[in-house]
Amino acid sequence: MSARDAIAIDPPYDFPGYKSTALRSPRQPLIRVAPHPLETAGPSFGSGFVKESEADLTTWGKSAPLGEKMILVGRVIDEDGRPVQNSLLELWQCNASGRYAHPVDRHDAPLDPNFLGQGKVLTGDDGGFRFVTIKPGAYPWKNHPFAWRPAHIHLSLFGNAYSQRMITQMFFPGDPLLPLDPIFNSVPEAAARQRMVCALELERGIEEVALGYRFEIVLRGAKSTPLGV
Amino acid sequence: MDIRTPSQTIGPFFHVGLKWDEGEKVQFASPGKRIVLTGCVYDGAGKAIADALVETWQADPSGAVPGAGAAVRAYGYGRAATARDGRYTIDTLMPGACAGVGGGKYAPQINVTIFARGLLKAVRTRVFLAAPEGINEDPLARAAGPRAATLIATRDAEDPKTWHWDVRLQGKDETAFIEF
Repeated sequence: MSARDAIAIDPPYDFPGYKSTALRSPRQPLIRVAPHPLETAGPSFGSGFVKESEADLTTWGKSAPLGEKMILVGRVIDEDGRPVQNSLLELWQCNASGRYAHPVDRHDAPLDPNFLGQGKVLTGDDGGFRFVTIKPGAYPWKNHPFAWRPAHIHLSLFGNAYSQRMITQMFFPGDPLLPLDPIFNSVPEAAARQRMVCALELERGIEEVALGYRFEIVLRGAKSTPLGV
Repeated sequence: MDIRTPSQTIGPFFHVGLKWDEGEKVQFASPGKRIVLTGCVYDGAGKAIADALVETWQADPSGAVPGAGAAVRAYGYGRAATARDGRYTIDTLMPGACAGVGGGKYAPQINVTIFARGLLKAVRTRVFLAAPEGINEDPLARAAGPRAATLIATRDAEDPKTWHWDVRLQGKDETAFIEF
């Protein structure tokens, strides 16, 4: 736990409700050590790394993908409210039927030839980002009987320091699968779980075209250290 | 103060969004001595993990933090998904000696972050590219004590540019991971 956390934010490594943690969770204590000089700095991506078109997941195919078109806007900030500027944000998701364009995904739902499900942006000066996509579907998985993942979008963030590097998932408000999902519920505190749920903001969408959602992402402070270091 | 956004697992399908062409070939602004860091990631039963993402971030050959440059991709940063046999390979340059803020002496090392299905948050550590007697002064080696042995890459006897380093997420010889 970071010295800054008043409540437990991140999930534990070992979470029995999520079966795959059983053999993949470290059991030895984590080492406490002062940050390495490379950890308070971070990889710096040039603007040429990201094409503007990569923020729109709906124009990849020959025609529009199936599903509810949505605009996702948000801002990446740190715990002190500072915008995380010019930082790489990568996103991936399944299609509207709940199927990933991935060879390992065997879910018996149709692939959408017009949807690949990958996007990336560099955040703006205010930490802001905007994606155009479709709402992903829920899908079954083999964790337990009748297990279904709630609709979610995967997000990978670099922050401005390597210590801020983080991968998370964004969920949708009011989803009845949320209380049943061990991955969502691996986060111990309700207030922290709510951080992973986006807000419906219709006016961020496009009139008669797309729903609007807002998702604020808060990374640890760039100079934050573990308790006692 | 705002509550941070929690970590969640990368899941099994991350290649859809995170696979880069030649992501394992680390770029730098200036030349240096080429090295290859390779090994396998194992679970607590000793089984190879075929769906992990291994990321590296390191100093440039002069020991400086790689800054922004003319290249589109970030300098000093590498990314490799493990193969069916759990193997990752990072093709990079030997990092230069890095000086600590408080005058700490760092052994040559690469910062490593590993994401995988079944990891609700990443495991993070640093791998030493040095002989075991060359890391005694390093702050992490000191903090890890005997477990620092799990962080030392082994130089290939026949191919001296290649360094071998396996990662064990759990069990006997579990790799020493760092708290963040």
